[in-house]
Amino acid sequence: MASGLPKRIIKETQRLMAEPVPGISAKPDESNARYFHVVVAGPESSPFEGGVFKLELFLPEEYPMSAPKVRFMTKIYHPNIDKLGRICLDILKDKWSPALQIRTVLLSIQALLSAPNPDDPLANDVAELWKVNEPEAIRIAREWTRTYAMGN
Amino acid sequence: MPDPPIVSDEGGNGSSSSSSAGGGGVGVGGGGVVVVGLCGGGVGGVEAGGGGASMGSSVIEDSGGGIGGLTQSPRHHHSHHHSHHHHSRDGHHQGKSAVKYGELIILGYNGHLPPSDRGRRRSKFMLFRRQNFNGVKEDRRYTVRQPQNTQAILNNQQHSISYTMSRNQAVIVEYKPDPETDMFQIGRSSEPPIDFVVMDTVPGEKHGEAKVSQSTISRFACRIIAHRTTREARIYAAGFDSSRNIFLGEKATKWQNCDEMDGLTTNGILIMHPIANPMDERGEGEVGLWREVSVGGGVYVLRESRSSAQRGMKVEDEDNRLQDGTLIDLCGATLLWRSAEGLVKSPTKRHLEQMLDELNAGRPQCPVGLNTLVIPRKETLTASEKQPLAYLNCGHVQGLHQWGHEKDSNVRTCPMCLMVGPVVKLCMGIEPAFYVDIGPPTFCFNPCGHMATEKTVKYWASVPIPHGTNGFQAACPFCATALEGHPGYSRLIFQDNCD
Repeated sequence: MASGLPKRIIKETQRLMAEPVPGISAKPDESNARYFHVVVAGPESSPFEGGVFKLELFLPEEYPMSAPKVRFMTKIYHPNIDKLGRICLDILKDKWSPALQIRTVLLSIQALLSAPNPDDPLANDVAELWKVNEPEAIRIAREWTRTYAMGN
Repeated sequence: MPDPPIVSDEGGNGSSSSSSAGGGGVGVGGGGVVVVGLCGGGVGGVEAGGGGASMGSSVIEDSGGGIGGLTQSPRHHHSHHHSHHHHSRDGHHQGKSAVKYGELIILGYNGHLPPSDRGRRRSKFMLFRRQNFNGVKEDRRYTVRQPQNTQAILNNQQHSISYTMSRNQAVIVEYKPDPETDMFQIGRSSEPPIDFVVMDTVPGEKHGEAKVSQSTISRFACRIIAHRTTREARIYAAGFDSSRNIFLGEKATKWQNCDEMDGLTTNGILIMHPIANPMDERGEGEVGLWREVSVGGGVYVLRESRSSAQRGMKVEDEDNRLQDGTLIDLCGATLLWRSAEGLVKSPTKRHLEQMLDELNAGRPQCPVGLNTLVIPRKETLTASEKQPLAYLNCGHVQGLHQWGHEKDSNVRTCPMCLMVGPVVKLCMGIEPAFYVDIGPPTFCFNPCGHMATEKTVKYWASVPIPHGTNGFQAACPFCATALEGHPGYSRLIFQDNCD
């Protein structure tokens, strides 16, 4: 499997292992080097603090000419992440550039947790509450973090 | 004398000998080229039997202002055995103690002239003091009816200039040997009197012999007279032909007044002195004005068009002395004069190679392929994955990849900043004479991608170079490609020293 792996993916993987991004771990799957098991720690002073969020990241055949596919496996209450774990992030779509890397994508996701953007929502109900009653939205987000992102 | 002088305004029949103009008289007749010493990386100098008069002797040294031997380029091992080359005993004695006047470098060649940089056809010509003087100076002047039958014209040993005023009147200016000077002639002709053969420069990459169908360079374009003691070099339009004559025909622009007889050649020889010496630290961006130099060495405002019949106004406070950085335009090729003193302060090819090695040692990488890029010293035709490309509008340096590539165009979107613009292969500007300072090559010309220091790139982007028979444009000195966009160069941004 690894034999057909582009040099770029090998290099990125090596660097991710050697110099991990603080608060993020990304490990390639043993049987598929294009599939990464990702764990992102909820950023400090965000409603997700203390939580440990699992994501899956997959590098498609065209990578890096097209963006990685990333999805939250852990349930999260966030205006830009829907109930299937899909993420609304421009660099994963039309703003993708091959100069971006797995590392930069994960950093962007971490930043998205710190700064939810209800004006560009994916989960409409969450975004609505976030705009109308932010303290309540944050309270729910904390509760979900405790329920789904702690303990395991 | 079938045609005696009818006017003699300079003391009648002088007594100058007409036997031999140069020191060596018989000497190394047709273009004895002497090649001695170390020939560094394609920049060796060569000298022909200047004006056919002297025992043309000279040396080749390495290029850079007297510093250090350069690595020898393999392609030169076989290049010095051309039929008209021979090693002269004179030259061997001179060695590195030779007195150098300066160098002439043709704009548009990056260190050598393909397909073979040799003989009197090179990208660079070094002027050394000759073993025997061969300079000439004006001796006397008179008017004749039939220049073809005049003794001075018929005598192949006598240097003379004939100004045809009308069908039956010509002014002859005789020249006599000048023990204080050496003469070097430049032109398109490969006849022996031409020391430095210069053909029209074709802009762009040079991988073989590209020829211009109709040359605009004169066969005997200009001559340089260098003072053997002061080393001052002066330039004059027109060169003496194999019969040691210069003819200005009836249609040529010329004028006569009480103390001078002078004229211009068809397409003229233009010069531009730098306002500030480009080697000066404060000399960036300042350039002079183009002027025309006459057959007699006067400096004139440019004609209305390159070959107009009407000459420009005389510029009294400027002269034809070459300064470090003076540009000489032959109409079809432009030469840069670097004085011996200027070259001492200039980087050598070795310096440039070190700068490039340092840049490569930072292992710049492609932000897309994450592979290490290597900036080449020479243009290569083959596509290598290590070849760096510059996105000219933003300066980001990357390897070759297909992302952001608009079909059937050279326009691409930069993955680093999403700016859209042209992309070009980077290549080191390795001809040291074009550098105005020593430093890392972190800029490149737009659109050709030749790299040099910031000051060097900005200097050349500010220099208007004659283009065709009228019009001026800034160009890359390493390939003669006209600069595009504003400001005509890019600051390069490398992703380096990252692992």
